[in-house]
Amino acid sequence: MSALRNCEGVTRRNCLQLGVAAFAGGGLSGLLNLQAQAATQAVAEGKTPAKAKSVIMVWLDGGPSHFETFDPKPEAPIEIRGEFDPIATRTPGLFFSENMKALAGISDNLCIVRSICHNQGNHGAGNHYMMTGAPTRIPVGCGAFVSFHPSYGSVTSYERKAPRGLPGYFSIPSVSRSGGPNFLGAKYAPFVVSDDPNQATFRVRDVNLPAGLTDDRFMQRRDLRKLVDQLPRFAEAAAGDPVLAVDSYAQQGYDLMTSVEAQQAFDIGREPEKLRDKYGRDSFGQRCLLARRLVEAGVPWITLYDGGWDDHSDIFPRFRTRTPKLESSVAALISDLDDRGMLDSTLVVMLGEFGRTPKISTLSGSKTPGRDHWANAMSVMFAGAGTPRGAVIGATDRNGYAAVERVLSPENFASTIYRKLGIDPDRIYYTPQGRPTHLVSDSTPIKELMA
Amino acid sequence: MPYRLRLSHAVLIGLFAFALGCAQTAVAATPATTALSPEAKSATTDTAVSSSQLNFELDVMPILTVAGCNGGPCHGKSRGQNGFQLSLLGFDEFDFNSIVKHARGRRVQPSAPDTSLLLLKGAGVLPHGGGVRLPIDGENYKTIRRWVSAGMPRATEKDPKLIGIEVSPRDKILPAKARQQLKVTARYSDGSTRDVTRLTAYQSNESPVAAIDQVGLVTAGALPGETAIMARYMNHIAVFNVAVPLSGKVEHETYAALPRRNFIDDLVWKRLERLGIVPSPPCDDATFLRRASLDVIGRLPTSDEVRKFLADKSADKRTKLIDDLLARPEYADFWANKWADLLRPNPYRVGIKATYAYDQWIRESFRENKPYDQFVTELVGARGSTFRDGATVLFRDRRTPEETTTLVCQLFLGVRLDCARCHHHPFEVWGQDEFFGTAAFFGRVGYKGTGISAPISGSEEFIYYKGSGEVLHPLTGAVVPPKPLTGSLELKPGEDPRPAFARWMTSPDNPYFAQVAVNRVWSELMGRGIVDPVDDIRATNPPTNPELLAALAQEFRNQKFDHKKLLRTILTSHVYELSSLPNPRNTWDLKNYSRHYRRRLRAETLLDAVCDVTGIPEEFAAMPERSRAMQLWTHRVSNLFLDSFGRPDPNQDPPCERVSDSTLVQSLHLMNSPGLHKKVTHDKGLAARLVAAGGSPEEWVEELYLATYNRYPTDAERRAAAGLFSADRTKHRAIAEDLLWALINSPEFTFIN
Repeated sequence: MSALRNCEGVTRRNCLQLGVAAFAGGGLSGLLNLQAQAATQAVAEGKTPAKAKSVIMVWLDGGPSHFETFDPKPEAPIEIRGEFDPIATRTPGLFFSENMKALAGISDNLCIVRSICHNQGNHGAGNHYMMTGAPTRIPVGCGAFVSFHPSYGSVTSYERKAPRGLPGYFSIPSVSRSGGPNFLGAKYAPFVVSDDPNQATFRVRDVNLPAGLTDDRFMQRRDLRKLVDQLPRFAEAAAGDPVLAVDSYAQQGYDLMTSVEAQQAFDIGREPEKLRDKYGRDSFGQRCLLARRLVEAGVPWITLYDGGWDDHSDIFPRFRTRTPKLESSVAALISDLDDRGMLDSTLVVMLGEFGRTPKISTLSGSKTPGRDHWANAMSVMFAGAGTPRGAVIGATDRNGYAAVERVLSPENFASTIYRKLGIDPDRIYYTPQGRPTHLVSDSTPIKELMA
Repeated sequence: MPYRLRLSHAVLIGLFAFALGCAQTAVAATPATTALSPEAKSATTDTAVSSSQLNFELDVMPILTVAGCNGGPCHGKSRGQNGFQLSLLGFDEFDFNSIVKHARGRRVQPSAPDTSLLLLKGAGVLPHGGGVRLPIDGENYKTIRRWVSAGMPRATEKDPKLIGIEVSPRDKILPAKARQQLKVTARYSDGSTRDVTRLTAYQSNESPVAAIDQVGLVTAGALPGETAIMARYMNHIAVFNVAVPLSGKVEHETYAALPRRNFIDDLVWKRLERLGIVPSPPCDDATFLRRASLDVIGRLPTSDEVRKFLADKSADKRTKLIDDLLARPEYADFWANKWADLLRPNPYRVGIKATYAYDQWIRESFRENKPYDQFVTELVGARGSTFRDGATVLFRDRRTPEETTTLVCQLFLGVRLDCARCHHHPFEVWGQDEFFGTAAFFGRVGYKGTGISAPISGSEEFIYYKGSGEVLHPLTGAVVPPKPLTGSLELKPGEDPRPAFARWMTSPDNPYFAQVAVNRVWSELMGRGIVDPVDDIRATNPPTNPELLAALAQEFRNQKFDHKKLLRTILTSHVYELSSLPNPRNTWDLKNYSRHYRRRLRAETLLDAVCDVTGIPEEFAAMPERSRAMQLWTHRVSNLFLDSFGRPDPNQDPPCERVSDSTLVQSLHLMNSPGLHKKVTHDKGLAARLVAAGGSPEEWVEELYLATYNRYPTDAERRAAAGLFSADRTKHRAIAEDLLWALINSPEFTFIN
């Protein structure tokens, strides 16, 4: 029985029986207080406290067009500027593409960086570069799902412990291509919540005991597992024993099941209906809301994955239909964080692996126009954690071909995120083979975001 | 893991970023660097070619290539860069026109060569997005300058042509931290050679093992390992293989004394000796029985089978076991299930009945142990109804010659041609000519009936040879005649080119066909392909043991492509029997087969195993009662267990590949899923039956261990587990259930050891 007790001395099952509400006050705010204390302490000890306790990364897989989002080019010739008009935002002189209305309405909370670029024009390599801050070590193909370096989320959960039982890195609803832990090991792989929080029946699968099984009996089973599990393990990491990952997951599984914080954070049904509406009654909208709850519970990294931004064809109808829903959910998330006073300690970023080609093209075999891959320019949206409110950094040329002002790299992007989290991008990790590896090869952050 | 299939869709257009040259400068936050270090002298210490007369092909193209000008991120992009376009990685005469003729000739000025845009930009005198590529005081600048002032001569018919390059040494064992200078020599059609070491681009596949600098100096790392280093000069690639062995010497006698059952053992030991790796000893009988059963028929041995095998005292019982397993009916479903992973189309796209017909054709092929060459021949030449002739569904799914080409080449030749559809592959030798030459074999596939109207696609379609139809080259618009990747073949007028293509693929002269097949099978049985990924055979992704791959391929051909015989050859080798336990001299070895590599059971096998040991079958929609997971004919049959353990997702088009990693979700599913809980605690389940049948706790414990781990419990295990059963008989069933749960939740159950 005792092993199932959490630090507050209540069993998980008791907690569920009492109802999460009983803990919504004490449990969570108590936890946040502890974190605040820790931060104060860090200042007293002369360390710089992290500006961001958590990061929510909205990953638009496929590479969203910069023209149709944050970098419209109304002056460009027709074959470049596309079908949409720019719209004014709350920030004087800052224009978004016309389908970004909700974000335009809160642009005074956003900082748009228009000048990140790199040289990896295919999905496999671009994903890797932007999701880890490191280029792939060898050339990889377009469809590749590769990992040569730990992802931001994995590094963050390695460096910044989540509250007991909660994984430090969530990826919702699936893991992004290069979102894995690489040499940091299975313990820092993302916890994937594939279940849909927009369903009335939403629960995170298999985190609760099956009906009819008591806590006591589960504890006995757990002890039994220890008893019968005599398979030798190869502790040396270079031996690559895949069983070690399973051990790690088993432990994480137990921790998650007994975590009050986790149960609470997953209980999205406790949110007021009105707020749920504001986030948008679709899977992505409710996932944004779930992300906010996870941030409240102290999870340091959440990736919200949204696929299908590889608009080689049909780009304008697709942007018209899908973008408003997505961007209004993101805007609701940022506003909600702000209303709760959490935006100063939460960094929200939105990006994909690259931008899109200036010239609109129709591929052979396709009937409708689109834009192709373009790594020479992309727009990245930042909000919160001390990033400037209502600013734009860098610029592309008048036709959107290339970043020309404040040309920034994925390494600059990675270093910004790590510094915000209080993680030194300059630090060296050692792989299981003993190879020293720089976390980020260029540890210069985007200084305008660091003020 | 090993069954990998990545089919590109629209993303083919991706611009290949070759991590060279230009790569560094696109990130303009760092100062621009050139691909050649300043002290790197140009080029060409000519050995035989006397080139007082420079020409474009022999002298200029190599400079543009090594400087990264024609790389994917720069002017090699499919639409060029700022109006200046080169062919990706420098292949076509396109580039000459681009430089000399386009832009009204501004790019070159023979009368005042230094005012040529090519040089002004390249040297960074005028603003250049790519930075300084041709330093003004460098040899490369001078070479191009000389070429311009000579009036931009091209190679003539009489000039020698580049026919290949060689790197020397080709392979070497280097002690830790040692250095080795490579030399790259270009060979020309007139028999002459040039040293092009400094005009070659290098790349190490694993720089911690051995790094290489821009002028070809290799430095071995501090830790043991092996890697390949790629050298690329123009469109030619050579590979240097380097091994950094473990320090300390192992006597030759150690290897001479190792058992040799067939050529596999011989070739693996040879490799290990070279690297100073010592293999693990053979595994015990119980481990062997479990491993072989799971590998051949995808199911656990029953407790009776375990008892019988362990009691058998005959010397050849392992070989006998292999023969018995190969004769079992489960063999067909298990291996067909693996092939279905590779071939199975998205049912939402091709329709459910076609999916079923296809699946049944695959299963039937394995039931009759159809020779592999025949299997492939029937598939690529399929004709008939998508409802009755399952193999035709390949063409229902792949509806253009281009789509068929990428699938067929990757699956059956291990050649990834999808990049070559749009441009030359930066680390391959294939280009658009090869791509469309291959596609032309599929240009006369006729369709009659109802096409694809996803998501329903309900109706029947007929695939036939329509007698005409051409494939056009996308750049030139010319008709491309069918031409195989290697060699040549004659087509009779009016002949369906597909069977001819199959003849070419399966002929003894085709090096790829048998290699990729044996590599797949080897990977399934040994945990890693000799080439990995298994379907990516190319010079720049070399096999870890080329002799072994070649010998296996030869054996498979000798066996007339008999799949079971191939399996038997591998399974009866001593190498297959090795224990998974590492020793100090093979701990780090993850690719030379000095020990068995542990693998998790694949989704279907694991679910079937859970059903078998609990005695409670899973219920599947659209399947007869008591069906096994490996008999499922479509992933549309929903099952949370199979999804959690990584069966491919059918909703994607093409379906994504199988994931063999372990995840937290899997651990939680085994622990807490209601489905598994029901099986473990079922009234007719193993635990309930055992206790109801009477007998002693020791007997129950033995039975549970035999059923799950397929071995007897040790005395200590037996005592400890039996001790759990207290005097209170009412609790016995619950304890037996919990014990069963614990066994299923342990890695000794979920892994092939």
